[in-house]
Amino acid sequence: MTQDILSGLIARTALGDRKAFSVLYDETSAKLFGVSLRILKDRAHAEDAVQEIYVRIWRRAGSFRAGQASAMAWLVTIARNQAIDMVRARQPETLDYDDAPDVADPDPGPEAAAVLRGEGRRIATCLGELEAGRAAAVVAAYVEGLSYQELAEQNAVPLNTMRTWLRRSLVKLRECMSR
Amino acid sequence: MTPGAHIPDDNALAGEYVLGVLPHAERRSVEERMTRDSEFAALVASWQADFSHLDDSYAPEAPPQRVKAAIDARLFVETGTSTGGLWGSLVFWRGLAFAAIAVAAVLGIYGGNFPGAGGPGEAPVLVAELAATDSGVGLIAALDPADGAFTITPAAFSPDDGKSLELWLVPGDGAAVSLGLVPTDGGRLVLDRDLVNRVSDGALLAVSLEPLGGSPTGVATGPVLLSGALLKK
Repeated sequence: MTQDILSGLIARTALGDRKAFSVLYDETSAKLFGVSLRILKDRAHAEDAVQEIYVRIWRRAGSFRAGQASAMAWLVTIARNQAIDMVRARQPETLDYDDAPDVADPDPGPEAAAVLRGEGRRIATCLGELEAGRAAAVVAAYVEGLSYQELAEQNAVPLNTMRTWLRRSLVKLRECMSR
Repeated sequence: MTPGAHIPDDNALAGEYVLGVLPHAERRSVEERMTRDSEFAALVASWQADFSHLDDSYAPEAPPQRVKAAIDARLFVETGTSTGGLWGSLVFWRGLAFAAIAVAAVLGIYGGNFPGAGGPGEAPVLVAELAATDSGVGLIAALDPADGAFTITPAAFSPDDGKSLELWLVPGDGAAVSLGLVPTDGGRLVLDRDLVNRVSDGALLAVSLEPLGGSPTGVATGPVLLSGALLKK
């Protein structure tokens, strides 16, 4: 199903068209269940998440803008946010880390000057410019919905170190993608 | 605390939010900030668009049937009556079949172009191809911002049984705004200037079936027959 057809289904959902909403569910629920399973890692919780996700889609379809995001990306964003919120709700409300560690890189290193030009805007290319372990942490955070606590444990580093790494990675990614 | 000093921090915070690594309380506070700080919300949207390229990592898997039943029960059971009957109505399908034939004829005549496509040096014309769920384009609406008028093709699209077709702008939040009745004769629909200013690239349009003369309440009362996004052409 093309993005245009999905956009049209979301538009009709925004106007209360239940048939369009039903078709939208049939066309997209497998993907959004896949997102929920990957992040929640539990089938019963993932089923609950899909329910909440489509209730949100029904209520918030009017906020979709075809020019700003692809229809599927918009739906996946809603699914990820729902699944991540469900995971975080079972974890501590706050974490005991330093407030917003400094993101300036003290030593950009010679590799920064040797960065490849060209198709550097794409996320995959820019992830490739990070150290392999740091790029893997960014991807795991996004795809698996890992918390800072979980990332720190996986990488066997203190929480503050993990946060500093990730925030520096984000700043480097943004620099790379805006070149 | 100069605003400029926080740009890299905001950028990282927006990225952290999109990745999802923040604890619950911080996620809520970032979302609260997005509602009142549009520049920050734009940073979040930008990260979302960038990271969405990783969405291919999610393998689809069909959820059990009971999930859809549970959603329908939550959203629709208490409201009672269904609009499905109208969707199945003969009026709609007859009108749509007629529109499909008419649009084929128009595309044949104009070779894919349509009236009102704009001349050089003017503000770009915005075009929406309004389609139904189960079929192709039913109607093309082209807005020329210079004169604030929609050119609607095919103009001959008309419902039976004393009904009117009403064109709606579907905003990001709040109720749909009526842009007027789809003209049955000539194909031009002139908007008030303040309405023209609210219609932008990417805006969603929809056509609903209403009582003759349009919705009596100012909100869409009939089924939505067609919809589509306005895009620069």
